[in-house]
Amino acid sequence: MTWPIGRNRRSSSREVEVDSTAVRVVAASRLAVAVIVAALGSFLPHITGQRAAVFFLIDLAWVPWAAVVLFASERAGSQLARVGGPIGDLAVLATAQILFTRADVPQVNAAILPGYVVVVVFAVYTLNRSLAAGVGVASIALPTFAQRLFPPAHRLGAAVLTPYALSVVVLLLLIERTTRLQTRAASRYALLSTKADTILNHIADAVLVTDRRGTILQSNPALARIVGRGDETLTGHSCEELLDLHCGERRLDCSAGCALLRPDLTDETGLGVEVWRTGLTGERQPLLGSATRVDSDEGSVEVVHSIRDITRLKQAEEAKTLFLATASHELKTPLTVINGFADTLAHYEELDKDLRSAALDAIRGRAVELTRIVDRLLLSSRIEAGRMHLTCREIEVGPVISSRAASFGAATGREIVATLDGLPTALANEDALITVIDHLIDNAVKYSPGGEPVEVCAAADDEYVRVDVTDHGIGMDAEQAAHCFDKFWQAESTDVRRFGGTGIGLYIVQSLIEAMDGKASVRSERGAGSSFTVRLPRPRQPEPAEAAPPAEGEATSIREFMRQIGVPERRA
Amino acid sequence: MKLSVGIANLILGSVYMSYGVMTLLDLKRGWKTRGFSHFGAAWVAMAFTCGPHHLEHGLHVLSSGRAAGPLDLVTVLVGFPAGIIWFLLRVEALSGGRGDRFISGTPRWLVAAAYVAPLYLAATTVAAITILAQGSYFTPRMTPNVLLLAVYALVGYYLLRTQLENRPEAGGWSVSGLSLSVVFPTCGLMHITFPIYAATGRYDVEWHGLLIDWLAVPAAIYFVWVVRALYLGNLNDWNERQPQVPAEPAMAR
Repeated sequence: MTWPIGRNRRSSSREVEVDSTAVRVVAASRLAVAVIVAALGSFLPHITGQRAAVFFLIDLAWVPWAAVVLFASERAGSQLARVGGPIGDLAVLATAQILFTRADVPQVNAAILPGYVVVVVFAVYTLNRSLAAGVGVASIALPTFAQRLFPPAHRLGAAVLTPYALSVVVLLLLIERTTRLQTRAASRYALLSTKADTILNHIADAVLVTDRRGTILQSNPALARIVGRGDETLTGHSCEELLDLHCGERRLDCSAGCALLRPDLTDETGLGVEVWRTGLTGERQPLLGSATRVDSDEGSVEVVHSIRDITRLKQAEEAKTLFLATASHELKTPLTVINGFADTLAHYEELDKDLRSAALDAIRGRAVELTRIVDRLLLSSRIEAGRMHLTCREIEVGPVISSRAASFGAATGREIVATLDGLPTALANEDALITVIDHLIDNAVKYSPGGEPVEVCAAADDEYVRVDVTDHGIGMDAEQAAHCFDKFWQAESTDVRRFGGTGIGLYIVQSLIEAMDGKASVRSERGAGSSFTVRLPRPRQPEPAEAAPPAEGEATSIREFMRQIGVPERRA
Repeated sequence: MKLSVGIANLILGSVYMSYGVMTLLDLKRGWKTRGFSHFGAAWVAMAFTCGPHHLEHGLHVLSSGRAAGPLDLVTVLVGFPAGIIWFLLRVEALSGGRGDRFISGTPRWLVAAAYVAPLYLAATTVAAITILAQGSYFTPRMTPNVLLLAVYALVGYYLLRTQLENRPEAGGWSVSGLSLSVVFPTCGLMHITFPIYAATGRYDVEWHGLLIDWLAVPAAIYFVWVVRALYLGNLNDWNERQPQVPAEPAMAR
C-alpha cells in the first residue's frame, strides 16, 4: 500500500486546508445575523430615506445572499461559500457605513469597524493566504475610502483608522500563522494516526501496551483473534492472566514486571522468544513474543508487547516433514516395482513372451501411477503458487459425472452408483471438474476397503449445482473432518501406510472448487463413512427489480412530501 | 369581500396549522423507529408560521377593520382548492387510506391549467403594478413577505420539477404532488399581496404580524436548506430506507 505522504505535504505547505465545517458554521452564523438585523430593523419606527435603504439592502440583498452562500456551503469545497460570503459581507458593511453616515447617523461610521474585523477573522480561518490577504486589504481600503464620501465632520481621523488598520494586519498575520500551524499539525497527526491505526489493525501480529502492573491499556484486533476473544475489547484485562505464557515447561511469572523483558528471555535478534499458551481446544498454541519498555517524560512506564502466532508455521513444518516421508514412500513403491521388473528383464533374456509382457505391463502400470502422483504434486504446487486461473463456462455436469463414475467402475471393479436428477448447467471449468470428481471417487474407493458401493448424487437448487460423493467406509470424527481439506493432512499417520496417498487430494479438490466460486464441505461419522459435497454456481439470473419502499411509511405526511419534492431514497 | 377574505384566510390558516399538527404527530410516531426528521421539523416550522400569518390576517380583516383587497381574495381563492385537496389527502392517509390519487396520462383540463398558470401570474403582476401605481410607500416592514414569495416559489419549483421528472415513468400525475406544487407558489402570491396593500396604506403592518412573518423567513430558509442537504446526501433523514429483514451474519468459511 502506498501512503500519499508527499502529496499531503505539498498541499499543506501551499495553503491551509479548508475546514468545511467552519465554512458552514460561518455561513449559518452570517444568515442568522442577517435575519436578526433585518428583523430588528423592521421593528424600528419611522425608518425612511437612507436608513430605510440600509435595511432594504440587508433584507433584500444580504439575507438572500447569505442564504445562497449557506446553500453553497453544503457542497464541500464550494468557492462561492468560501469567497462569496466575505465579499458580500464587506459590500454590505461598506454600503451600510456610507448610507448610515450620510443619513446622519455618524456614530455608525466607527461602530461598524468591528464588523470588518469579524469578517477578516472568519476569512483568514476559511480562505487561503492570498484571498484572506485580499479581504484584509479590502477591509482597510473600504472604510478608508468611505471617509471621502462623508461630510468632514463625520470622518474618522487617522487616530482611529491607523490603529484599526494595524489591528487588521496583526490579526491577519497572527491568525493566518496560527491556523497554518494548527492545520499542519492536525494534518500530520491525522496522517500518522491513520497510518498507525491501519498498520495495527491489519497486521497479523498482536500488539498490546500494558502499564507497569501488566494491565492492558491498548491492544489491536490481532490479540483478540490470537486469544480467541472475537471482537472483544481487552483493555483493562491483566496481560499475564489473559495470555498465560509458558517458556518450555515453565510458566512466565510477571509479578515483578513483564517476564519478556528479563535478560534471560530477551532475544538478541529482536525477533522474540518462543513461548506457548494453552489454546481454546486445550492444545499448545506456539507464539513468538517480545516486549519493549517505554518510559514517558512524566515518569510513567509502559510496555509494548508483540505476540506472533506461529501455530501455522509449526503445522506447516510438521506437514512438510510428514509430506516428505509420505511422498518418498509413495514414490518408492512404484519405483521399487519398476526397478525389480527392469532388473528381471535385463538379467533373464530367456523369459517367455507372456512373462515378458506381464513384466512390461507392470512397469507401464507403475509408471502411470508415478505420473499421477507427480501430476498431483505439480497441481498442488501451482495452486500454492497462485498460478491457478480457471476459465469457467456453462457446462452440463451430468455427462461429466456419468462418464467418470463409469470409468472408475470399470477400472477398479467397484460399484459406483450415479444418481442424477435433471441437472441444469453450472458455471465451471470442465478439466477442473473432472479432476475434482476423480479425486472424490478415488478417495471414496480408497477409504471404503470393505468394497462397499460408492454413491455419486447430483441435484440443483436456485444458486448451486450440488454433487455428493458418499462412501460407507471408515469415516472420520469431527476433528478429522474439520482438517481433511488441509494440505498434507491424513486422518491418522497410520493411514499413510494403510491406504497410501500424499494427503493433497482433498486440498486440490477444495482449491479447484473455490477457484470456480464454489464450495466444498464434508459430513462424516467414524465407522459409518463420509459424504463429500461440492457446490458449483449456476449461471446468474437477471436481478429482480428493486423492491418498492415499504408501504407503511408512504402514507405519512413527511415521507409523502419528501417523495413529491423528489428527495432521493437512500439505503440506511 | 371583507367577509370572504377573512373567512378564507381563517380556513387556510387553520388548514396550515392542521398540517403542522399532523406532521408533528407523524414526527412523534416515526421518531422511535426512524429518528429525528429535519424535513419534518422544517415543515412543521413552515406550517406553524404560514398558518398563523393567515389566521392573524383573517382576524384583522374580520375584527380590526382591515380593508380587504380584491387581489387578496383572488390569490386566496386560487390557492384554496389545492390546499384543501392536499389537506384531505393527508387526512385520508392519517386514517390509513391511500393518501394519493393518480391521473392517467395528461387530460385536457391539466394542459389548460398549465396555460392558465402563466396568464394568472401575468394578471396578478399587472394588478399589483396597477395597485402600486395608485401611490405606494415601501418600508422595511414589508420585506419578509417578499422573501417568503421567493422561498415559496423555489419550493414550488422543486415540487413541479419532480412532478415533470416522474411523469414519463409513471405515465400520469400524482394528485398529491400536483396539489402540493400549486400550494407553494399560490401561497407565495398570497403573501406578496400583503406588502402590496401595505405599501398603498390599505393594510397596516402591526408588530405581531411582523414577528410572525420574520419567524416564517428562517423557517422557510431552513426548509429549503434541508431539502438541498437531502439532495446532496449531507443529512440523514427519513428518506433512508429501513432494512426490511435483519442482515444475515457473514458466513464462516
